[in-house]
Amino acid sequence: MLRKNLLIVLTIVAVLLKTHAPAWACAVCFGGEGDSTIEGYNASVLFLMATPYLVLGSIVGALFFTYRRALKKRALAEAAEAGVQLAWNQEDSGR
Amino acid sequence: MAKDSTARKLPETPLIEAVRRRAFGGGNPPVRPNMPIGSNAWLGVLMFLGAEAMFFAGLIGAFLVFRVGSAVWPPPFQPRLPLGVTGVNTIILLASAVTVRLALGRTQRGDTSRSVFWLSTTALLGALFLLIQGYEWLQLIHFGLTVSSSVYGGLFYTIIGFHALHVFGALLWLAVVWVKTRRGGFTKQSHVGLQVCAMYWIFVVALWPVLYGLVYLY
Repeated sequence: MLRKNLLIVLTIVAVLLKTHAPAWACAVCFGGEGDSTIEGYNASVLFLMATPYLVLGSIVGALFFTYRRALKKRALAEAAEAGVQLAWNQEDSGR
Repeated sequence: MAKDSTARKLPETPLIEAVRRRAFGGGNPPVRPNMPIGSNAWLGVLMFLGAEAMFFAGLIGAFLVFRVGSAVWPPPFQPRLPLGVTGVNTIILLASAVTVRLALGRTQRGDTSRSVFWLSTTALLGALFLLIQGYEWLQLIHFGLTVSSSVYGGLFYTIIGFHALHVFGALLWLAVVWVKTRRGGFTKQSHVGLQVCAMYWIFVVALWPVLYGLVYLY
């Protein structure tokens, strides 16, 4: 049954492909090589292909630099705290 | 792992508690929590700006199809765009990015009054940019460049119009931040609202030279 249905579908597809010539054409295949319209599409496609990488790269870059800045900030805070601890003594504690 | 669980199960005898009190002044020794590298608002706005960049990339992509695909640009019988006035307008908008950064810097130093001054300057520069652009649009419409006059007009008003809409939105946000700063809502330690607003403003400003170069100069 399955083979019979498959055969019918394949026959229909083959007949359609054979008889309906315009269906072969790609909907956006127009203009020849060097045509300005094609160049326009190519420029746009290349730009849109590159953009996600640029955007994601910028986000990753922002995260990286912020992380490094946070690390430096933390190191500074810890150094300041260590200074305070070194200055601490029993008399200053009031206990 | 096994060591940790054993350590946690140690009985709290009075002797241990007494030693701890003597050594640390009572209670458990202080534990420093991991400091976050940025706020959630900052991360959210960063993602939002990524989406905004993709939106404008779509508009630029559409522009490139027609611009690169046209042998003659601008199309015949269409008015030319005013380069000089828009160039001055570009400088005005770029200056506003400097002033908003100064406002953020002043808040980070705890100088709220100077921050309010720089925020006011930013808002004025942004409003001036929009006014000049509005005047420019009126002139262009008067000369026959409308949304429906050609692909050129349609692309111009869509791209530049969406940018102007973003500047207007950023201006409204800046007004809210200005009011909050004036009321002392941002301090040296806590100013994430101002920080994300400045981020958005700088994004909108940084976008403009790209659009100016593409739509006006290319």
